[in-house]
Amino acid sequence: MDRPARILITIGVVAALLAPVMLDRDSFPLSTYPMYSRARGDAVVFSTAQAVDTGGVTSALTLGVIGDSDDPLIVAGELRDAIREDRAPERCGEIARRAADWSGLPADAVAIEVVSERHDVVAQVEGQPSVIDRTVHASCEVRR
Amino acid sequence: MTDVVELPPATRQFPIVDAVAPAERLAMFRILTAVFALAYLVIRLPVFLQLGDRSNGFEGVGLAALLDAPVPSAVIDATVAVTLLAGLGSIIGWRFRIVGPLFAFGMLALGSYRGSWGQLLHFENLMVLYLLIVALAPSADAWSLDSRRRRDGDRLSVESTAYGWPLALASLVLVITYVIAGVAKLRYGGLEWVFGDTLRNHVAYSAARLDLLGGSPAPFAGWGVRTEWIWPWVAAAAILIELSAPAALFGGRIRTAWVVAAWLMHIGILVFMLIGFPYPLFLVAFAPLYRIERLWTDRPSWLQRPDRQLEA
Repeated sequence: MDRPARILITIGVVAALLAPVMLDRDSFPLSTYPMYSRARGDAVVFSTAQAVDTGGVTSALTLGVIGDSDDPLIVAGELRDAIREDRAPERCGEIARRAADWSGLPADAVAIEVVSERHDVVAQVEGQPSVIDRTVHASCEVRR
Repeated sequence: MTDVVELPPATRQFPIVDAVAPAERLAMFRILTAVFALAYLVIRLPVFLQLGDRSNGFEGVGLAALLDAPVPSAVIDATVAVTLLAGLGSIIGWRFRIVGPLFAFGMLALGSYRGSWGQLLHFENLMVLYLLIVALAPSADAWSLDSRRRRDGDRLSVESTAYGWPLALASLVLVITYVIAGVAKLRYGGLEWVFGDTLRNHVAYSAARLDLLGGSPAPFAGWGVRTEWIWPWVAAAAILIELSAPAALFGGRIRTAWVVAAWLMHIGILVFMLIGFPYPLFLVAFAPLYRIERLWTDRPSWLQRPDRQLEA
């Protein structure tokens, strides 16, 4: 390849890499690389799913049960999207079916709840009470 | 066979476009990037195959932006199968002019499709960008079945821009991606990202998210969140490392100092946030900055064939 072609392609590649930044539009594989770049306070809303027993006490599930994946980014992102798009009941049913086959499900668990919880994340990591508010988007029975 | 044309020294004015290297260096880059991407695809195979079962929440990004709706699962299965085979072909350099682009575009398609369900995973970006550069360069002119078939390996010991420029271009892509990441923190987070509690809150957020989703938080997250004073220093160091990435293009100790700093930054992200960026953690991201053919040419004597040892 001759020199002018190499110069042109190099300029084109640089322009392509910078285009998402100029347009402020994240994509793949050209990106604004925005991960963890936004300012974040200590009160954060999380979307998750929990097992609920007969007394209303909640317990954690697993990434696999909630999202059929071991990647927290994927599990959290998909659940958040399901809630936003009013698909929480449908997703709740899927989680309940996986939970029914999960050996770690507490014996007295009777339901799954898809919830949004606002936590003080610093308090949560330090093991202190952290739930600020909680919204239940869907609740469904676990059929063992 | 790629024409190997040496430039007269007087025309070597630009470090990127006129960079030269032996064919073996680009070949080693082909092997490293293809081995990594193929291993990644194999390890994450269940995730990619599950994409075929999804129907809700599709919003195409990258190559998948050309689609209006999800594709049938058979298309995903076929893409994965072809990409796996092309990956093998890329590693051994068999019909590379065909399998190289197939592998790169297969990974681009799969990465795009996986990112089309609401969650972009940025650690795949550089991997795909490198594969595209390798695919469109004469990366199988050495250490490949293609070069063995042609029996013209002796001509390739000369250094050429045909092999050096793709590597320099990959280096340029590497440093630009880091600079963009640094700029994003200042652009979206502002000075608060450095001087406020933002980074500490991100660490706490990652740990809390994992805990609430039933995962295990990062080993040092709790200690880090309690050690409040370190975070402005860590944040400033992270941005400094990202914005100073172009220094790596100078080579020598400056390059290696930057690589060590960037690698330690990724180790920090892993132990505090349990977020792994495997490409830099396994050093493949930094490969185009080095004379990587030496991984093989300077290999220990016990790795060399007995007949070669006798010849020596």
